[in-house]
Amino acid sequence: MLQIERIRKDIISLGHQAAQDRQIHRKALVLAQIWLDEAAEADQLRAHVAPLLDDNSADAVRWQGGIPCSPGKINHHRPTEDVPLADLVLIGVDGSQIYPDRQALALYYLLQIGALIFRFDGNAPTVHTREWLRYDKADLYDDRGYLIDGETLGMERMVKEMEVLADLAERERRRATNPIFALSDGPLLWPYVERGNRTSTHFTAYLGALCNVQKAGAIPVGYIDRPGGQPLLDLLWAGQLASEELATRIGENPLKTLSDVELMLEVLAPGAWTPWYTRATATNRRHAEDGQEIWFCYANLGTQRSPAIARIEVPAWAAGQDASMTALQAALRHQGSVLDGYPYVLARAHEEALVTTQDKTALEQAIQRELFSVGILAQPSNKARQKLLLGRK
Amino acid sequence: MTTTAQTIAIGNVLRADIRGFVIASRIPEPDVPTFGTFVSAPIQQGRAAVIGLVHNISLQDDPFLRNLAVTVTPGDPRSEEIIKDQRENRVIPVEIEVASVGYRLNGRSAYVYGFPPQPPMVLNSITVCDNDAIRKVTASPDFLRTLLDNLDVPTDELIPAALLRAAQLRPKAERRDFLLSAGRYLAHYLGHDPLRLERILTRIDQD
Repeated sequence: MLQIERIRKDIISLGHQAAQDRQIHRKALVLAQIWLDEAAEADQLRAHVAPLLDDNSADAVRWQGGIPCSPGKINHHRPTEDVPLADLVLIGVDGSQIYPDRQALALYYLLQIGALIFRFDGNAPTVHTREWLRYDKADLYDDRGYLIDGETLGMERMVKEMEVLADLAERERRRATNPIFALSDGPLLWPYVERGNRTSTHFTAYLGALCNVQKAGAIPVGYIDRPGGQPLLDLLWAGQLASEELATRIGENPLKTLSDVELMLEVLAPGAWTPWYTRATATNRRHAEDGQEIWFCYANLGTQRSPAIARIEVPAWAAGQDASMTALQAALRHQGSVLDGYPYVLARAHEEALVTTQDKTALEQAIQRELFSVGILAQPSNKARQKLLLGRK
Repeated sequence: MTTTAQTIAIGNVLRADIRGFVIASRIPEPDVPTFGTFVSAPIQQGRAAVIGLVHNISLQDDPFLRNLAVTVTPGDPRSEEIIKDQRENRVIPVEIEVASVGYRLNGRSAYVYGFPPQPPMVLNSITVCDNDAIRKVTASPDFLRTLLDNLDVPTDELIPAALLRAAQLRPKAERRDFLLSAGRYLAHYLGHDPLRLERILTRIDQD
């Protein structure tokens, strides 16, 4: 039992510190808004931060701030235009999994991808699901003989999501010539650090699938709800430094207590999008080698009373298609308007993808029956059984 | 009224006892069984089947739908695809409560009226009885016995619903005799409670 009285002083101190942090936070937010309003034009900022990105320069540091891609002032926001959405196609995809478990009655893992094809044509959307059951040792263990971890499974899931999107986009393209947006719940930029063969294989497969979406005539879109990170704030800080200070003081950003989302909640009107940015990370360079460099912007899909900030990621080749981006902005606004700022297609794709506890029980019963039919009496481990009993308390 | 021509799986047992069971189901709206539907579930490792009547259907809480209910407007073209998705694609999480009326051992045609020796096991599949099974189970009005003694379910509504459903599955010429026989059984059983008897008979007569 926790003795609350013994840590009473710490709890009071925690409260004081939170109040102090809040004050500092508020001041930082005001400063960020001033810097955003006073920021130079995009091309000037780009030229200013260029030394930070030059691999051959002695001043080059591992800076991952946002690099402005759209012309004009970076505080310029685009409102949603009232464009017709008729026959536009939005494909939302999401995935879920059952992790491999040594205590289970059999060693396996499962991936399930769910998708919703929303056509803006007055008809019911189409639901699509696919699943993969992996039980081969080659799939279950890594090169060092360890059971694969959640990150590796996450990579495979991301590849499968993009492959499903490519597949569905190609099928949709055969039906019509309308604009198709392939929306995934998460970043489009590969989020995993490259280490080991398996990562590299997954990354290559992912880029291949991304290219296939493009070949199908669709635009891949990454949707990140309440994103973390501060690439825009890093850019604002870089803008405050003199050129000769860049290399030495770039890490001293006084806004590091904030995130970009907090700034966007203050400045981005409902329905509005910021200009496009990119980041010069090693991963994005690899994307660029395959013609799939990723750009991003922030969007507010919520309302005045309940703002909902998201980061939208698209390949650079798509961000330049103004008419398509205008349509995408209007489509996402429509989607967010029915679910508190979250796209309906992604909510439904998630629902279709979800492997419920009941699904998992049914799958394990089917596996147990199958094993029994070939003379194997499989049981979960004693530990798993005890956990189940305690969990029922 | 549903006149099921073939067996339809509707869900799995969620919890059960001798008197009845609850089914968790996620099926499209048109397939949800109606009040008074005869259903069957395997018991005793599949060596027998319990027969019961659906006496309650409740929609489980669905925060997703609750959210949409305040933002989507029927008739607004911007909501059209979403409403159709909810109605046509999205399965409704429902709990269906069933009262046991009897059981049948595998390989035997006769039904035993009363509570089964064992409840169905959790996650066993439940099916809607076909017309032939309903005709057989209702061949004797004794199938009403457990219902008449069950104070936990709305039997005064359930008994007329079950009798009318069973009568519809018989040739027209036999329906009256079938209902009269059931009425006599009820009069005998509820002789001490004429008000309840009248309530049930009136509902049968109203149809």
